[in-house]
Amino acid sequence: MSLHKKPRLLIALDILSLVGVLAALVVVLFFTPVEAIMGPVQKVFYFHVASAWAGMLSFLIAAGAGIGYLTSRKLKWDWLSLSAVEVGVVFGAVAILSGMIWARPVWNTWWVWDPRLTTTAIMELIYGAYFILRSGLNTPETRARLGAVYAIISAATVPLTFFSIRLFRTIHPVVIAASSGTGTFNMSPRMLVAFFASLAVFTLLLADLVWNRFYLAQLNAENQQEMI
Amino acid sequence: MKSLQRYLKTIWVIFRKDIRIEWYGRQGIPVMLVFSLLIVFLFNFALQLSPNLQSGLTAGLLWVSLAFASTLGLNRSISLERETRALDGLLLAPADRSAIFFGKSLSNFCFTTLVALVLVPVFSLLYQQSLFHPRLILAILLGVGAYTSLGTLLAAMSIQARTRDVLLPVLLYPLALPILIAAEEASRGVLSGQTLGELRAWFLLLLACDILFNAAGLMFFETVLEE
Repeated sequence: MSLHKKPRLLIALDILSLVGVLAALVVVLFFTPVEAIMGPVQKVFYFHVASAWAGMLSFLIAAGAGIGYLTSRKLKWDWLSLSAVEVGVVFGAVAILSGMIWARPVWNTWWVWDPRLTTTAIMELIYGAYFILRSGLNTPETRARLGAVYAIISAATVPLTFFSIRLFRTIHPVVIAASSGTGTFNMSPRMLVAFFASLAVFTLLLADLVWNRFYLAQLNAENQQEMI
Repeated sequence: MKSLQRYLKTIWVIFRKDIRIEWYGRQGIPVMLVFSLLIVFLFNFALQLSPNLQSGLTAGLLWVSLAFASTLGLNRSISLERETRALDGLLLAPADRSAIFFGKSLSNFCFTTLVALVLVPVFSLLYQQSLFHPRLILAILLGVGAYTSLGTLLAAMSIQARTRDVLLPVLLYPLALPILIAAEEASRGVLSGQTLGELRAWFLLLLACDILFNAAGLMFFETVLEE
């Protein structure tokens, strides 16, 4: 057994992102003000936006890695693409679920057919189909080739989907820009700090998870080679 | 110039072959037609539709039945090549593979458009509302064009999986969502009497989908089929 050892940098990143998430949790729970109208449930917002951001980012990484595979034909790129999609689907689910927890008291409903919610749900379905596609393909090369093409096309359609649903009216609060919609608020300085801290921590967590998943794919490939 | 001529010729040859197979076999379009009508009837009972539908429902129903029926044709268009290993012959031919894509997506486009052209008078009859608008035809052409291009590319992918034709809808529907939304909204607008100017955004979105998915076919069809 001469399996690849876990890189030191990855272990360091594990620890760093764990500490980061705990720290962000403490900041969000104890150092941000309670929103005047919505109450404590508004605190979902920090991790909600951060995980939506991490989800989007990882699907972009998946498409980028897809381009990497198609140009270089190195399976490493495919491992990265697959890892990014898997992690992205989890972040997407976290974004949807945390959003629902927030929406129930604020909008008085678990779900509305708003552009962002619908696009995120469709995105989950698109990348769910990605796994179904891969599971039906026989060789790693075919999986990599078709997976790459699919990841690239998917990333290209997501903005179109968002735009097309956006042409309907939206009630999702737009916190960052000039805003309208139910449940809108402006952020105080402390909220801003917590918000950007969450974004940074989740980006770190994303990198850590994708790398770990990539490492797993690497081990898997090495293992299969040894069995042959 | 010569190479462009050759390219167009390849598209034409593939297209003509598909039309001929359909003409002699008559196994694609009739199935799509019957299936699309069945969907109309199923929805009619499932949603308790009245004969005087609002234009929104008519347009929605039209696109749902078109989208479902088109999947059958798309699957068949590629599995036909696969069955007799004709695909290998196509791939061995000294022709640009993206030309094969355009040929096949053109024939798929024609089949689905034909189904749409039958559905339009049928809908006008069943739901007491004339669907004969030049602008609706434009929406159908643009929408079906984008849908079948994306579908042809995805069908070439799904055919390689063990799950085969079962896989295509799962891949196609979520990715085709912007096309279907834009097509449905454009059609709804046309039927409720809005002008082209008011519906510009939807038509432009359809056009963008057409360009995007045909470009995707041009770029990726070769990659998808290489073995």
